[in-house]
Amino acid sequence: MTIHLYYFHSNRRQEGSMEKWWFYSEGSGITKSILVRDSNGENYSIYFDIENNIFEIDNDSSFLSELEGSFSSYKNDNYLNDDDGSKSDDHYYDNWNNHINSCIDSYLRSEISRDCSENVNSIDSGSSSIRTSTNESDFNLSPDLDTTLQFTRIQYSHLWVQCENCYGLNYKKFFKAKLNICEECGYHLKMNSSDRIELLIDPGTWYPMDEDMVSIDPIEFHSEEEPYKDRIDSYQRETGLTEAVQTGIGELNGIPIAMGVMDFQFIGGSMGSVVGEKITRLIEYATNESLPVIIVCASGGARMQEGSLSLMQMAKISSALYNYQSNKKLFYVSLLTSPTTGGVTASFGMLGDIIIAEPNATIAFAGKRVIEETLKVTVLEEQQETEYLFEKGLFDLILPRNLLKDVLSELFKLHGFFSNKNQHES
Amino acid sequence: MASLPHCPVNFSPVSDLLRSSSSNGVPLKSLGRRVQVLGSSGGKRERGDLVIVGAAPRKGKKHEYPWPANPDPNAEGGSLLHISQFKPLKEKEKSKPAILDFEKPLMDLEKKINDLRKMARDTGLDFSDHLVSLENKYQKALKDLYTHLTPIQRVNIARHPNRPTFLDHVFSITDKFVELHGDRAGYDDPAIVTGIGSIDGKTYMFIGHQKGRNTKENIKRNFGMPTPHGYRKALRMMYYADHHGFPIITFIDTPGAYPDIKSEELGQGEAIAFNLRTMFGLKVPIVSLVIGEGGSGGALAIGCANKLLMLENAVFYVAR
Repeated sequence: MTIHLYYFHSNRRQEGSMEKWWFYSEGSGITKSILVRDSNGENYSIYFDIENNIFEIDNDSSFLSELEGSFSSYKNDNYLNDDDGSKSDDHYYDNWNNHINSCIDSYLRSEISRDCSENVNSIDSGSSSIRTSTNESDFNLSPDLDTTLQFTRIQYSHLWVQCENCYGLNYKKFFKAKLNICEECGYHLKMNSSDRIELLIDPGTWYPMDEDMVSIDPIEFHSEEEPYKDRIDSYQRETGLTEAVQTGIGELNGIPIAMGVMDFQFIGGSMGSVVGEKITRLIEYATNESLPVIIVCASGGARMQEGSLSLMQMAKISSALYNYQSNKKLFYVSLLTSPTTGGVTASFGMLGDIIIAEPNATIAFAGKRVIEETLKVTVLEEQQETEYLFEKGLFDLILPRNLLKDVLSELFKLHGFFSNKNQHES
Repeated sequence: MASLPHCPVNFSPVSDLLRSSSSNGVPLKSLGRRVQVLGSSGGKRERGDLVIVGAAPRKGKKHEYPWPANPDPNAEGGSLLHISQFKPLKEKEKSKPAILDFEKPLMDLEKKINDLRKMARDTGLDFSDHLVSLENKYQKALKDLYTHLTPIQRVNIARHPNRPTFLDHVFSITDKFVELHGDRAGYDDPAIVTGIGSIDGKTYMFIGHQKGRNTKENIKRNFGMPTPHGYRKALRMMYYADHHGFPIITFIDTPGAYPDIKSEELGQGEAIAFNLRTMFGLKVPIVSLVIGEGGSGGALAIGCANKLLMLENAVFYVAR
């Protein structure tokens, strides 16, 4: 049972009055049957179906009984025990009302500081419009600083990102300048591929390769929820990328390099045939042009919708790397970011001449759940984190993001790749 | 939604009961919000300050990183210095300079010279010729002492706790040095340190045993006694240098390989043997330098070189 709390300015009533409605909703996906009770005590039942554009409202008297039924379990909870059993149903109902209202109030207050943007945005469909209200008197709150803050937070809560480690808030506009590092605890949060290219490559020197490669659903994977092609389309629209990896050539402090950056936001960064092909072409290009290669790995594993073809990408990339590393003996750095799991760890992620990991990144081959379920042993989260694995000798270096570019350019210079720019000092 | 007057039960919302599991039971609804400090807990916060309630980091461990919280990318020496774990020791961490017993007469003489100088400064009297004669005497005694050292005295000097270690040498001779870790097979041995550095623009691979500069570091570095993991790390780095064409420079400073059961099980002997054989097959030139003591097999595992050099008062022996 979910109680959604939405605040409405109803256009029918007089301006300036604010109502509070609470809902009980049923139904999955995008069709919902919603039972509504507004603050005046009137009951409505709303049914809307987005796909078929149905939106119905009617006064539903069975609302009460449904609510009663669904709250009966709630009734039996301890803190609701009334010793006074002689209440009439109406009273009980009002108590429920108050209780629910106050529950909702405090829940809302507590959840405001979390990322509650989805609550505000999810009911954009239909004809209801959402306004926030700064009418404080309805809430019986003590006038403290929090009140005004929380109302502005309803409108603007999508402008902050919450850190996973310390739950602190980071303002998005500055967050990018801070390289997605939490200000309060220094935790490195996930970064998408375009930001990473901006971080590492000198501006104006990035030439992407193979931007138009898209998967054509080779094994015609049709799951009941969503066909694979639709899934790709929706992710493409959402993230703006064509696939889970961006490859290209650019200059890092003047040194020409070939770089591939994987993105976790695109179907979890999973490695499909397109990803494999793009990376292989990148490595072959670098072999022919004698460029060093950096690949930034961020992946959930192999793409299951493409079956064994995605498994073979591991082999394909490794063969390209064999040629690159053993025959031409050039320099390949693999940068492991959060999270790097599965097929990527088992192929090109761990084949770098130098393996660099970011602080507190999750790096694993088999996921935590798989290990726990197969062997029935507990796996602590920190056992698959960078620092622990560093002590076990898996990487060469741990580097924070702010030092990354400099150290990489030093490494390239040490390996004999020099910059194109004229340098006045040695 | 007026609350009913005869309603005795206090409805406490569910969310009041939600508390953070990871940070001392801080009520979840207060996270991230500004609250007034009710009482000063003896810190920077004064009563009436507005602070933001934050949960402690979820993971119990707060990791120690060698770089400062806001590393300055334009620091002199470049950002490579930030990532190295080998920082110059702070004053309180330095151990007192140890004096070997055969040096005692020399120390007394030096103390006398210092006292005399101090007295000269304080009183303003001229002790210069007395000073000069004392200093000459000191120099002569020093020379005498160190040319006629018995072997056991040399061993003591080689094992001197204040002797410069491998990383001290490397950081003073190279322009840039990046330490590379891990044998990619289970452990990162602290006793053997490897890395790439550049001298006069040319890149070299540096491998060496690292002892600690004070007791705490010594324990961390296992007193410079490598385990098989360390030798395999050195092996991997030698292959790497061979692959890329970097000459190898190794620094030997070990009492020997670490003699415990676990190392035996992991194949201490095999690791050393493999190293010996491999070093003869590499195509790049190898130069070894004994900077302290070279203890038998543990030292030879990175010591099969084109040229083997030794510093003054360094030792190389078979048994302890």
